Amino acid sequence: MDYVIQQVLNAASIGGEYALLALGLAIVFSVMGLVNFAHGEIITIAGFTMYALFIFASPTSAWWLLPIGIAAAIAAAVTFERVAFRPVRNAPATTGLLTAFGVSIVVKNFFVSVVGATRPRAVPTPDWLGSQIVIGGVHIQTLQLLEAAVTAIALIALLALLRGTNIGLAMRAAAKDFNTVRLMGIRANQVVLAAFVISGLLAGLAAVFIMARRGAVDPFMGFSPVLKAFVAAVLGGFGSLTGAVVGGLALGVAEVLFQIVLPDKIAGYRDAFVFLLVGAVLILRPQGLFGRKYQFGDKEG
Amino acid sequence: MMAALQMRFGLGRQSFVGGFILAALVILIGLIVMAAAEKAQIRVANVFFVNLILVLGLQITMGNSNVANLGHITFTGVGAYVAGILVAPLAIKATGIPNAPFGLNTFELHFIPAAMIGVVIGTVLAFLTGLVLTRQTGIAYSIATLALLVIVHTVFTNWVDLTRGPIAFYGIPFKVNTVSLMLIAAACAIVARLFRDSRWGLQLRASGEDVLAAEASGVSVKRLRLVAWTLSGFVLSLGGVMYAYLVGTISPKSFYFDAVFLTLAMLILGGMRSASGAVVGAVIVTLGTELMRWLEGAPVIFGAKMPQIFGLTGFFLGVVIVLFMALRPDGLVGDEELDEMAKRLWRQRKARAAAGEDTGPETSS
Amino acid sequence: MLVVDRLSVAYGSIKAVREVSLRVEKGEIVALLGPNGAGKTSLISAIVGLVPSAGGKVELDGTDISRKRTEDIVRLGATVTPEGRKIFGDLTVGQNLRLGAAVRRDRDGIAADIEQMLTMFPILRERFASRAQTLSGGEQQQLAIARSMMSRPKLLMLDEPSLGLAPRLVEQIFGLITELRAKGLTLLVVEQNAYDALALADRAYIMNSGRLQFSGRSEDLLASDDLMEHYLGTGTGGHAGAPG
Repeated sequence: MDYVIQQVLNAASIGGEYALLALGLAIVFSVMGLVNFAHGEIITIAGFTMYALFIFASPTSAWWLLPIGIAAAIAAAVTFERVAFRPVRNAPATTGLLTAFGVSIVVKNFFVSVVGATRPRAVPTPDWLGSQIVIGGVHIQTLQLLEAAVTAIALIALLALLRGTNIGLAMRAAAKDFNTVRLMGIRANQVVLAAFVISGLLAGLAAVFIMARRGAVDPFMGFSPVLKAFVAAVLGGFGSLTGAVVGGLALGVAEVLFQIVLPDKIAGYRDAFVFLLVGAVLILRPQGLFGRKYQFGDKEG
Repeated sequence: MMAALQMRFGLGRQSFVGGFILAALVILIGLIVMAAAEKAQIRVANVFFVNLILVLGLQITMGNSNVANLGHITFTGVGAYVAGILVAPLAIKATGIPNAPFGLNTFELHFIPAAMIGVVIGTVLAFLTGLVLTRQTGIAYSIATLALLVIVHTVFTNWVDLTRGPIAFYGIPFKVNTVSLMLIAAACAIVARLFRDSRWGLQLRASGEDVLAAEASGVSVKRLRLVAWTLSGFVLSLGGVMYAYLVGTISPKSFYFDAVFLTLAMLILGGMRSASGAVVGAVIVTLGTELMRWLEGAPVIFGAKMPQIFGLTGFFLGVVIVLFMALRPDGLVGDEELDEMAKRLWRQRKARAAAGEDTGPETSS
Repeated sequence: MLVVDRLSVAYGSIKAVREVSLRVEKGEIVALLGPNGAGKTSLISAIVGLVPSAGGKVELDGTDISRKRTEDIVRLGATVTPEGRKIFGDLTVGQNLRLGAAVRRDRDGIAADIEQMLTMFPILRERFASRAQTLSGGEQQQLAIARSMMSRPKLLMLDEPSLGLAPRLVEQIFGLITELRAKGLTLLVVEQNAYDALALADRAYIMNSGRLQFSGRSEDLLASDDLMEHYLGTGTGGHAGAPG
């Protein structure tokens, strides 16, 4: 029993992390048709900011690292938009994707060459993140519980935002028809900004959890989780918010299942198996689980 | 023969002329380097030719279908590993991969059949994966190509018995030189140019701009993309074989994001819409990275490696990509091949000369 | 109120609008007529900044708006009800109306205006909580107009309000346009359906192939079969509406 609950929580926390990231990708994509390949670098920037704070300000409590990390993630997302993505806002999707690819390389290399961080640097997170609690005789890691809970709260808050506020409604409307939204007098820049703030916030939350798990930063730390998030978003149907969440959770479940099922000898192939499984799903449903039947040319270029 | 090709593939004379001009340009670069350069620079040129093959391979699929492909290096890795393992001497295999599957450590092949098998396997893999990938469009397609790269990389890294896993596989005999590399790169330039101008390439490029219209006019974009993807897999795995024969040592990380990024940067810079763009981009990025390396004061011993893309060089390369996307998304060369551009400029000049001085600028329509 | 001075619009090398000048005075209904592809939609899109102009000037109440962004022009009081209605299909009728008032901060005023719109368009009250994409074509057109009204524009430009509607609904929409003018609104109505549009407009402009061909009073146009025939290809009593 202990084991089952443990594994379920494993799946929920990993899946939750992917869902947070995939949701950020999906929001930016649905609002402005941009595939943000630099999403992983938001995590990296959050991690390095926490590292810098730890080194230079030596805060009395590791607590402070968390809000600063999240704030840095939001700032990074907004800066990317302002500096790199705005000039290509109305360009074909491929142009935006390659721009984001360039941004990703710039940030990685900034940390490699300017900061000189070629090997991982340790960063502490609050102790209680690594602790365990016992509920009904079952040992549960606080981090995992928190991860599942925060994901759930973030999703509910996002849902409320999208249904109940003007900016949320505008974002949903802009996903289909940006020009008509502007005809309502709503500023395009504000809608896009909101999308990036939300995607940065979600990435910041994920970054905190990633940091808590890894305990160290390096310039490439954002890549792997965001790659998974991309796959999750495609699995769910790219641009669909529901799809991003379901895809993220499904990917978490698949990873944990393969972890359990695969014999040690081929455990290293786990990701390959997960991706192949996703590929199989996409053969049956090319538009993803929740995607619309893909309109050729739709936000493609 | 040309008439037959023209009938079958819709290729005109200019395509052949242009292809050969481009190939001549590539060979000229090789000849200049061989005549004038020192050993270290010749090594740089050798790597340049391999990269050029890869960029041309990428151009065939990405340039024509206008959807980002991030997994092309997969086939380069497959070609390199297959040929490398087949051709490696028995003594090397005995120490390197003593438990190789399929009895691969019990024989060694001549380098030409090994290369052919490497290319065939790479191409077949491209065709098979293409069957699945081309069902996707747009973003999902780009991400699926990326997933393919990760899957194959996972296999390279984990199949220790076959590839030595994350450790480098060494001892592949050096079988290529500047002459063979430049000839093969030149041939690939012709292939890319002819494909671009062929009926398939034309329809594919038209579909890149308006997939709906293409589908509506009865053009199967999926099938065209599969053709391009497979041909590109052929060129890319050929490039992989060349890489293995040039460098002699391969490891999974040779065929991962560094290589993807480098070749992508070259193509974007030159302009992905044309084969000329691939050549121009490869030349400029190679010169640029060498210059950066010189500025950074890196050791003078230029190893025969892919140009370094992490560090300051990579930083600037990233900046250049971002700037190009914002200011000149079609790259330096743009929509036309160099020969087409030259022809147009020549005609305009002649027209202007014929019309005399008193006509206004030609954009008066 | 609106002064358009030699405005041009180009898409690449194709010139969609060539140096068109027109004026709309406060309280007027002005019809902008012409066949499909004449450049009417391009012209009003350029007026509100949705497409860049390739020369010329636009003034709204004496303010130069030629270089302003769409959202700022809307905030200055000029808006477009786009062709094909372009309602937000995923949102409810109520949410559509709410977004229409997104630039306003007066909660009570917004609530009052919504109430007023629901009185003016009773069908929208019935469908208030339904997703907009479930509405019929005529209902969507009503929603689109009501949504535009929610920003309290001074100048409303309607792009093809009768497109795809049954004659009875066209009549209803055109009746509504007169009603809106009575409330003090200034209207520029883009139409292919020339005959009906002329019946309610004070003045009319006729465009063809990107150029202005005619401007004058609606009565004069309607009174002259020659003019109607010449510019709009219709004779006496014939319904205009050059198709496709």
